[in-house]
Amino acid sequence: MSRLTIAIPSKGRLKEQTEAWLAGIGHPLRQIGGERGYTAELEGLDAEVRLLSAREIAQGLIEGSLHFGVTGEDLLHDLAPDGPAEFRVLKRLGFGGADVVVAVPQAWFDVDSMADLEAAGAAFRKAHGRRLRVATKYMRITRRFFAQKSVGEYRLVESAGATEAAPSTGTADVIVDITTTGATLKANGLKILGDGVILKSEAAFTQSVRADFGGGAGQAAEQLMGALSQADHIS
Amino acid sequence: MNHDALVAVARAVFEAAGGTPIDPDYVLPADIPLELSGEAVRARLCVFTDNRGAEMVMRPDLTLPVAQREVARLAEAGASAKTYTYAARAFRLPAAADDPFEFTQVGVERFGHDAGPAADAELFALVHRAVEACGVQPVAVVTGDLGIFPAFIDALGLPTVSTDLLKRAFRQEGGVRAVLDAGARELDADVLAALDADGAEAALGAVLAARAIPLAGARSLAEIVDGLRARRAAIAAGGLPETARAALLALRDVDCPLTEAPGRLSDLARTYGLAGADAALAAFAARVEKIMALVPAARRTAAFRAGFGRRFTYYDGFVFEVLADGLSASQPVAAGGRYDGLIAGLSSGRVSATGIGGIVRPDRMVRVRRAGA
Repeated sequence: MSRLTIAIPSKGRLKEQTEAWLAGIGHPLRQIGGERGYTAELEGLDAEVRLLSAREIAQGLIEGSLHFGVTGEDLLHDLAPDGPAEFRVLKRLGFGGADVVVAVPQAWFDVDSMADLEAAGAAFRKAHGRRLRVATKYMRITRRFFAQKSVGEYRLVESAGATEAAPSTGTADVIVDITTTGATLKANGLKILGDGVILKSEAAFTQSVRADFGGGAGQAAEQLMGALSQADHIS
Repeated sequence: MNHDALVAVARAVFEAAGGTPIDPDYVLPADIPLELSGEAVRARLCVFTDNRGAEMVMRPDLTLPVAQREVARLAEAGASAKTYTYAARAFRLPAAADDPFEFTQVGVERFGHDAGPAADAELFALVHRAVEACGVQPVAVVTGDLGIFPAFIDALGLPTVSTDLLKRAFRQEGGVRAVLDAGARELDADVLAALDADGAEAALGAVLAARAIPLAGARSLAEIVDGLRARRAAIAAGGLPETARAALLALRDVDCPLTEAPGRLSDLARTYGLAGADAALAAFAARVEKIMALVPAARRTAAFRAGFGRRFTYYDGFVFEVLADGLSASQPVAAGGRYDGLIAGLSSGRVSATGIGGIVRPDRMVRVRRAGA
């Protein structure tokens, strides 16, 4: 992998905003094969650009199959088995912002904090003979955060989508999900615990700590880093 | 001696002490470790889904599948004491780069026997003997007792709600501190009024309806009412008394040679006027005495840490780990402990039996012997 490989989100608002940011640092994106292509080039930089899902980008940065990428911090944190040491966030981009939060049914007047959740979980296990279920797609950060908050009375249920509906459909009692305004949570009868904000996430330009930066990749990387710091000085 | 020779030596030590050889199920429903121990253990479990999508695990140790078999036997044959020995593979996701995915545990599990201090000491001595028979000299033994903290809490005479909270918190890293520092938030007026109404559940249901809040999830109104009453009791109690805080923090910090531990704990109990812990402390002292009689080297090598073993989830009494030169403190060559609640927990209370067990790790002892050679 001697050519620099950069990945950006393949669709949606995140893609548009990333393109605007790249243009802003002097390297506008040129997609190969038109709007539907999945590879691209950056003007003025010898690099291969891949258009991937945010999850694939986070995974590739952690594994080292990508040199740089733009993806959500939530995914980076969750997919890195050993945590934040496995990637390097070079710049938080100011868009794609959202919080990963712990939310419980609003009806739980007795549960406002993680400590309350632990107490409710213990009582629940006595009454039901099973643990409270927590639905999430963030398996690792949830486990890390609950351990850090000394909460052990729960079971994780992996959620593929529409996590916020899990309590009302009965697949789980508590959720860990990403939210921007909290409106979806509220509409589903849920509330965020007072100390239940796990992560304030943004789209982030991120460098892999595992990728090989030898040869041509290293030169192009330096050029890109130069453009980045210059853009920072101007703005 | 290579790995298989060490397995044979350790196995002979355990089998000489009596017991039925057993090689139980390799694959368990994930519910068994996860419901028993919580999600904290998932990071180490080899989990997969079966053809119907149910989560299964490769056995992470032998205690769980052996206990599962014992539950079935007890349900069929009725209560009687039984000892099992094994030399069998267990499977865990590595926590460190030099951890293996699968490894052999050679060990013993005893169910339904007398559970006194002598039984604890004898099991420890047996495991210690198996390590020595493998030509490995233990350089350190760490011990704990998961019954001491609860005994102190009971002796403090706190309201039930604080007692339950603290006992649970003890099992979590940083949990006790978190409980001691947490203040209970006041309740809203309409919610408080509902608690005092005739038929609190219906009244709380009316509060929900008035606020247009749905009741989602499996927790019932009755459980929420119980939770609210517990919180109100905690607010009324005004947090923990200063002496209780001081006693628990002092206990949490006890870390000393095992020979000194009975004295240290008695001093603490006397300082804070906790006569209620006397019975637990007398049993603790008797166990230490017996350990020193059976394993004189423990005088030099064994330590007691009040917080040790609290995350060994199904253990509930005496716990220990044996360390040898050349490996990290998280890679003991032998370990074990008491789990009197395990059989009842696995069977949802249908059957119960005392339990204690211990294992040695031949793969690690190979590394110790190689490093020492």
